[in-house]
Amino acid sequence: MATVERPAGAARGARASTGPELATPPLVVRRREEEETVVTFPTLVWREFLAGLGMFVFLMAVSIQVNAPLLQKANTAITPNPAKAPWYFVGLQELLERFPPIMAGVAFPTFVIVFMMLTPYLDKNPSRRPQDRKVAITMFTIYLCLAVAFVLIGALMRGQAFNFDPGLLFGHPHLSSPT
Amino acid sequence: MSATPGQANPVRAFVEQVWGSIFRHGLPSTDKVAARTALTNFFLHIHPVRVKRSAIRVSYTLCLGGLSFFLFILLTITGLFLMFYYIPSVDQAYQNIKDLQFVAVFGDIIRNMHRWAAHGMVITVWLHMARVFYQGAYKPPREFNWVIGTLLLLTTLLLSFSGYLLPWDQLAIWAITVGTNMAKYAPIVGPYTRYLLLGGNQVAQGALIRFYVLHVIALPLIGFLLMVVHFWRVRKDGFTGGL
Ligand code: HEM
Repeated sequence: MATVERPAGAARGARASTGPELATPPLVVRRREEEETVVTFPTLVWREFLAGLGMFVFLMAVSIQVNAPLLQKANTAITPNPAKAPWYFVGLQELLERFPPIMAGVAFPTFVIVFMMLTPYLDKNPSRRPQDRKVAITMFTIYLCLAVAFVLIGALMRGQAFNFDPGLLFGHPHLSSPT
Repeated sequence: MSATPGQANPVRAFVEQVWGSIFRHGLPSTDKVAARTALTNFFLHIHPVRVKRSAIRVSYTLCLGGLSFFLFILLTITGLFLMFYYIPSVDQAYQNIKDLQFVAVFGDIIRNMHRWAAHGMVITVWLHMARVFYQGAYKPPREFNWVIGTLLLLTTLLLSFSGYLLPWDQLAIWAITVGTNMAKYAPIVGPYTRYLLLGGNQVAQGALIRFYVLHVIALPLIGFLLMVVHFWRVRKDGFTGGL
């Protein structure tokens, strides 16, 4: 393992010795010869196989234990309370509770998607090292935390009529419908 | 049956010829053989022959891209089995799913796996995106592969969403009602988009057949094509490797 780290460390050392004002292009263009390589087959393929097998065994175990939900047959006359979107869209539903629909339903999602696609073109910082990317990492982390928080709130803390009800987390009696 | 001296056993020779015509090289005893095996095998050809050791450390990719792809394959296979039973009609769909869950042999396992793998894929794709971001792997020359990745994320979400309706139970129909109601809010095009998606104003037969076609044909095809390009570019741009 130590030999694995050394080429990268050596390259970094060489860079530092040229002085900070000569900020050389970042690690992306590091030369091939500096890197130790291994044959893909079997080294990598073996790992992929193990990862796939692990995932398969895990899913099989879950599938034997836990049934996928199946409620009553669809009926447009009976609205469940609360009616929730699938969990990955429940964050969006949560936004709709808090902001005008045009913002939450259209402006925010469009902004997120467009901004995400533009990220590599807007981020002009060539370095890939975390210590050089504090702003980018902070922004992305805030985004991730917000997204997770909104999904969790929407999925776990919204009760009847989609009202905010954190007591649900602790087995509040109003909990009626699975998500 | 024993072979005459000086002449190979014909059965053995036949088996060897067949085997040799499929796999041109033996087991990877040396790096050279291993390289040949990877080069001449269609499925292994998705990989370069050699990779940087730092790039395939499990701690670097956390296997997340690979696992997303694995789940996609698993979903395709389990989905195929589900299709043997499932009829996209409001009169039959629910009963078909019930039969799968309670009657068909292993039907419950297949359905459960399809469901949990779908949720799992949303999570792995999302985490894969996070790892790519934190490692700055979207920076030149990989900008466009990040864009393709974004499209893959959207495709994954839509695949999951379109599948949600198919069991035609209370969970399905109301989740899709809530979900598609969000589309209504877009100015001008909103209501039209919703109508187009549902094939009507309500989640009914029109919506079921549309979601079905999107779910089993259109979106998987789009997703597959995007993945092919995604992987091609990972190879052509080279894999980032350790920081
Ligand atoms: C169905 C969804 C996806 C699949 C199956 C997939 C698969 C893969 C695989 C197998 C790799 C090789 C490295 C690894 O395993 O991490 C990879 C790399 C990459 N993916 Fe994805 N991916 C998907 C979605 C995404 C998303 C949502 C993004 C970002 C928005 C993305 C951006 C990238 C980039 C930039 C690379 C190159 C990374 C590097 O060179 O280090 N992908 N993808």
